Amino acid sequence: MSTNTKAQASVPLGRGRSILATRPLMGWRTVDLLTVAFLGVAFGILYWAWALAYQAPSNGLAAIFPPLQGITGAPWLMAGVVGGLVVRRPGAALFCELIAAVVEAIPGSTWGAATLVSGALQGLGAEIGFAVLGYAAFGLGAAVLAGALSAPLEAIYEWSAYWTDWGMGYKVAYAVILTAAGAVIAGGVGWLLTRALAAGGALNAFPPGQEVREARAV
Amino acid sequence: MLSDVSSASRGWVSGAAVTGEPAGGRAAEAWDVGAAGRVVVEGLRWRPFGRREPVLDGLHLTIPAGQRVLLAGPSGSGKSTLLRALGGLLEVADAGELSGTVTIDGVVAGSRPGAVGLVLQEPGAGIVAATVGRDVAFGPENVGLPRTEMPARVDAALAAVRLGKPLDTPTGALSGGQTQRLAIAGALALEPSVLLLDEPTAMLDPDNAAAVRATVEEVADRHHLTTVVVEHVLGPWVDFADRLLVLDAGGQIVADGPPRDVLAEHGDSLAAQGIWVPGAAAPTPVPLPRTAFGSDLTMEKSAGSRDISPDVRHFSVTADPGQGAPVLAAEHVRVERRESLLGGETRATLALEDATAYGRSGELTAIVGPSGSGKSTLLLALAGLIPTVAGRTTDRGLSSPDLARLLAWVPQWSSSTIVARTVLDEALVTSRALGLDEAVCRARAETLLRAVGLWDLRNADPRHLSGGEQRRLAVVGALVHQPRALLADEPTVGQDRLTWASVMGVVEAYRETGGAVVVSTHDQAVVDRAHAVVRLATPDSPPPEPISRRPLVSRAGPLSLLAGALLSIPAGIASPGWRWSLVVLAVQAVLAVVGLSTVGGEGGRPAGRIKRVALRMVPGLIGSLSVGWSTWLLGGHDLGLAATGVLRVLVIVFPSAVLVPYVDPDALGDQLAQRLHLPARPVVAMSAALQRLHTFGAIRAEITGSRRVRGLGGRRGPGAIAAALSALTIGLLVRSLGAAAELAVAMDARGFATATRRTWWASAPWRTADTVVVISAAVPALVAVLAAAGVL
Repeated sequence: MSTNTKAQASVPLGRGRSILATRPLMGWRTVDLLTVAFLGVAFGILYWAWALAYQAPSNGLAAIFPPLQGITGAPWLMAGVVGGLVVRRPGAALFCELIAAVVEAIPGSTWGAATLVSGALQGLGAEIGFAVLGYAAFGLGAAVLAGALSAPLEAIYEWSAYWTDWGMGYKVAYAVILTAAGAVIAGGVGWLLTRALAAGGALNAFPPGQEVREARAV
Repeated sequence: MLSDVSSASRGWVSGAAVTGEPAGGRAAEAWDVGAAGRVVVEGLRWRPFGRREPVLDGLHLTIPAGQRVLLAGPSGSGKSTLLRALGGLLEVADAGELSGTVTIDGVVAGSRPGAVGLVLQEPGAGIVAATVGRDVAFGPENVGLPRTEMPARVDAALAAVRLGKPLDTPTGALSGGQTQRLAIAGALALEPSVLLLDEPTAMLDPDNAAAVRATVEEVADRHHLTTVVVEHVLGPWVDFADRLLVLDAGGQIVADGPPRDVLAEHGDSLAAQGIWVPGAAAPTPVPLPRTAFGSDLTMEKSAGSRDISPDVRHFSVTADPGQGAPVLAAEHVRVERRESLLGGETRATLALEDATAYGRSGELTAIVGPSGSGKSTLLLALAGLIPTVAGRTTDRGLSSPDLARLLAWVPQWSSSTIVARTVLDEALVTSRALGLDEAVCRARAETLLRAVGLWDLRNADPRHLSGGEQRRLAVVGALVHQPRALLADEPTVGQDRLTWASVMGVVEAYRETGGAVVVSTHDQAVVDRAHAVVRLATPDSPPPEPISRRPLVSRAGPLSLLAGALLSIPAGIASPGWRWSLVVLAVQAVLAVVGLSTVGGEGGRPAGRIKRVALRMVPGLIGSLSVGWSTWLLGGHDLGLAATGVLRVLVIVFPSAVLVPYVDPDALGDQLAQRLHLPARPVVAMSAALQRLHTFGAIRAEITGSRRVRGLGGRRGPGAIAAALSALTIGLLVRSLGAAAELAVAMDARGFATATRRTWWASAPWRTADTVVVISAAVPALVAVLAAAGVL
């Protein structure tokens, strides 16, 4: 039968408070590990596809103002945000983004194994976002923060790897644009995506799934 | 950082862990004495969050050691839930309120790794590793068995299930039945006292199903296992079982006793509840009102337009004995599936060889054959959704709306193809995409949804339905717009007698008004109703040519290959100016030629090595030109600057194109854990996910194919592209999450939850070749750094 029935809230919750992962926080369940790993693989495939499709819009933006390419770079920041939002344990964001980077590198991508470096820096940034909130908040604000923070380390790395010939003004503009786009695209869209998955019943073993069911409760 | 420091002290059934004492003191049955595997359930109650009513409520049950229990009940009665509870696995992939106790020989279920072996319904859902040997060794690895003792344990387990395959056989190369026997072997390797099987033969053809049942019986005999089998179809298990337990829709035990006695006493009422009782006549499809399918809407719409299946006209009716006019055809079709091998090579295996099938107006065609024989592939060929090497199929060039008018396709997994937010909207997706008369289609949708028992759920979110309900909804959604043909992949799997009769009633009503129906199925009751039966045999693929001459780089392990690829980053960054970049790139090219050359060995050289590297360089080349263009634009049209930008990217990417294809996921896991001493469980999770990578291509094809068939594909404009992209993203993620949850249950049943100090099936040596790769890759980096420092 349908599980579309209303649940009685079993935990009293304040408005806007996040449901957290089961304690202890580092007590990764098997399903936590596998979910982050499988999400990473799925995002890795999407990243790889995006690497083939992003060239045209990216070059278009470059013709207007080169640092605007930060906008087309932002989708690559999403895996860390979503991994962190779903599992809500320390390391989830980094682990998810790293696996996505590994998968993206396997079929041969624009950047080869350099995606591993990017994945580590982006994932670390998102991880810092969740960490400064003490792994205690996973709402839209936290997602935006994690999305934004996944950008700066990557931007600084790209200065020396890809944008060596830019002046400092362009470099800073690129970092700012990538950060803003990361906040909106990786953070905002990642949050929406997580909510959509939870609403679809795909996250029942995780806090976001529980939040959806609590929200429906009368 | 990711290690699970506390899981060793965590009970899996946390709610149950604290409340109960084992139910001692009861009179033990004669066979209970001295044997292991006595299961006691006391006051078990489970309410998943989001459901008002508990699935199980206050259940009491004692299973003496060595007893064989057949667990039956209508859909949604909680059979699978109870089975998972017996293994202490309820909270592995779901959250809810759990109380009561489950104990095995007095110990809380789930506290001894491997005490309970679990076999899931879908073959392969619990496969952890890429090869047979490593997969069976997974449980022993988790409990820390020394590596030297593993081969004997693995051999014994494989021998017990009569799977005489070499240990390095890829798990993906096994048939569905062999995969289920591999799952049993994986459980036996931990010497369980209880074996739990969740509809282990539901997705198998009769021969494979019989082989799996024989294996279950044999291992249960030899190892004196307490065995619990959940099944819809009781017949084949009646002789095996000592006891038949029947749950009702409320999760209560309503019948309990020796199978023949229970069936004699309750047979009729069980059949009436939908259970497939042995001896009962096959159910009759529930007839629909004559008006259910009326004037053919899509035919009217397309009247006067071009023939939407032009190829079909070429098939002469004399060439085959059928009566109805052919609507779809696939003649002498050969389909190859390409498998990626290590080193970026691909190997073609035959998915279908010289297969012919027709979809005929007013007829039901059944495609049967063992799993792996290409039944689903033949359906795709009939739908014109798959490229063929030889033979003729339905036109592959049809536009999405034309395709939707011609045919509907119900894939095996309908959950990832759901697009609407209510059941009724989901049923109307295609008719709306085609712009058909809303009132007529709505009325038809109501009739069909009522027929399959989903009308009361019309406003529910279709993603929250059970698997069986989603399958019935997919059939309704395929027929509301009344296409000329219906292709359905195993439409009756998991249906009980009642829902079987309802869904077949809809299909038969559609067929009687002229629809052509083609189904792939193992279901004899469906085959018995077919006008034509197409039998497929597993195509014989020519054995792959043994290649003994491997490129030198293939001797290196994953870590050195990745290190080699990453050393290109300093090489690219440090190079001062395009001249030095060119020198560095030349050094890399020389090293690549050496690394890819074969030295020694006999037999054929691996073909196409250079071509593959070139192919893998294409994205990097495009990326580098893009960087060069933007640099040229900015740098005052300075060609030197632009060339520097281009070459820097090439220097960074080129070594990856050569080295990364030789990284093996399982070996990578071995090295990360044993060489770098990264936490074991995240590493294993990563390897398990990576070895499923190849399944994602099929998922993508299913999602995009399903959108085309439903009339949603091929529309232009940013809105349509965004919709297609988001459908693909969400579909991929939903399927990944589902696979992760199933695998988590299977892995925890094999002791993974507490496997912080695990051992490893394979060692992870650092060879001379690894050192050579790292040193060689350091040379270009060194050249670049020295050049930058002005030394060169």
